[in-house]
Amino acid sequence: MIRPGQFVMLEVPGRVRPYLRRAYSVADARPDTGQVELLVKTIGAGTAALEELIEESEVRLLGPLGNGFGIDGLPAGARVAVVAGGIGAAPFPLLLRALAKRAIAADFFFGGRGETDLALLDRFEGHVPGETFLSTDDGSAGERGRVTDLFRRRAQAGRYARLYACGPMPMFAALAPIAADLRLPSEFSTEAEMGCGFGACLGCVIPGMDKPFIISCTEGPNLPPERVKW
Amino acid sequence: MVKEADGGTGGLGDGGKEPEANAPSPRLPVPPSGTESLLAVQLGPLRLKNPIVTASGTFGYGLEFTDWVDLARLGGLCTKGLSLRPHAGNEPPRICETPAGMLNAIGLQNIGVEAFLSEKLPRLRSMGATVIANVWGDLEEDYVAIVKALEGAQGLAAVELNISCPNVEKGGMLFGNSPSATASLVSRVRVATRFPLIVKLSPNAPDLVESARAARTAGADVLSLVNTFVGMAIDPETARPRLSFGTGGLSGPAIKPLAVRMVYQVARALPDTPLMGIGGISSLSDVLEFLAAGATAIQVGTANFVEPGVSQRLVEELEQYCLGRGIAAASLVGRAHRTGPAPADAGAEG
Repeated sequence: MIRPGQFVMLEVPGRVRPYLRRAYSVADARPDTGQVELLVKTIGAGTAALEELIEESEVRLLGPLGNGFGIDGLPAGARVAVVAGGIGAAPFPLLLRALAKRAIAADFFFGGRGETDLALLDRFEGHVPGETFLSTDDGSAGERGRVTDLFRRRAQAGRYARLYACGPMPMFAALAPIAADLRLPSEFSTEAEMGCGFGACLGCVIPGMDKPFIISCTEGPNLPPERVKW
Repeated sequence: MVKEADGGTGGLGDGGKEPEANAPSPRLPVPPSGTESLLAVQLGPLRLKNPIVTASGTFGYGLEFTDWVDLARLGGLCTKGLSLRPHAGNEPPRICETPAGMLNAIGLQNIGVEAFLSEKLPRLRSMGATVIANVWGDLEEDYVAIVKALEGAQGLAAVELNISCPNVEKGGMLFGNSPSATASLVSRVRVATRFPLIVKLSPNAPDLVESARAARTAGADVLSLVNTFVGMAIDPETARPRLSFGTGGLSGPAIKPLAVRMVYQVARALPDTPLMGIGGISSLSDVLEFLAAGATAIQVGTANFVEPGVSQRLVEELEQYCLGRGIAAASLVGRAHRTGPAPADAGAEG
């Protein structure tokens, strides 16, 4: 059973470049058909290798890995906030569907550099009751500016039972103090370059507040922001 | 999707590995089953049920792999490098991918020898794993203190001295890069431990054969070679090193031909020294290549990250290979040295 916020390590067989597997959040999963959906943006050798694949090519997945988002303890009727930066939105379809099953509402804050970063918006809408707020750096969609500023203006203390966020490190660094000010219990889905994905290589550590390093793949990737030195 | 643990078979009375490891022991020989005798190898005082071992730093403490590997099936596993006290390791970024391999500068993050003995070793023992404790320190005294701390350990087969880590400021590779420092350290550790002593050599040493000779003369039972090659990657945009430590250790298929050459060279110079070959091994043909070059056993490293079950797969493939041909794994060792004259340049450094 795949939990929202877990990830898989994907290998395109028969290649030495990329040699290491790449970590991808599970965007959606259908236990009935065995299908797993990943949302991928081409940025480096790993994602380029995927782009070159033709339909029905074989890839190998290791997983599900990581801790997943904590959604237990949220009462029915609660409202949460989901903040996503660009392809950082990848883990949220599965989360939103899990929230819908528990009758939990979610406001979705989605930011990107430009309109194309928000191209997959329809994958996140309609799962649960709630509002959608958009922002882009260049103003080509939604408000011009940062999604973290958008969130800061909309969020009030007590409005949300929890905050789930996924995006680039600068977004987390800006969002962590906002969540702290609101005393909002939060989980940030951290992105660190992973060698193995299951706690063996210790390559994906993140500086921690209460200990030197947090092992992102096994202790996370979803972490309360107050545990992390951003 | 994660494969269920398959480790239930190894626990029965198989935990006390060290009498076997500390040959010659007065234990009555047990008639080995067919494949066990076919695959077993003798590395000096250390008898392994097969030549497939996992390399330090690439296999955690073994327990991370029990979803994919029955630890009892392996010839052995080398632990993450242990220090006297827990060690935090280097700032990220710690790894970066390179063509057919990776650079790492983890910096020997580990839980310390005490936590290993209390939290990890008992579980490894109950699973029937053949455990090789990889140890490191800043000073000779640290190495001596660690092997003394391990002295009473139940379920340990051997100790492997890491004198070749390129990713720490002190100790580590500094011992491995000077034959006299190697000899001094190994001779002090030799008298401090009853366990079979493996010394893991650095390919960055100016003269690997001299380092190997120094370690062997000072009392090493087995040499493992090689650790990672010091390398570097620079982000072309920012012109900054990709690793926070600056440099890192290169591993993976990219280093395999270099490692094969080094094993071949040391085997030729020190034909009576048992060797464990390491460097980019991920297939049966890689294993056969290292055995042919003169390694009696091999260690699988970086491939464990890509394919966590690779070590057990290699045991199974080697078993099929040996069964199919009716030959013992030990007979595959050093074949390249018997197939004709050495290539003219194989003995040349650099």
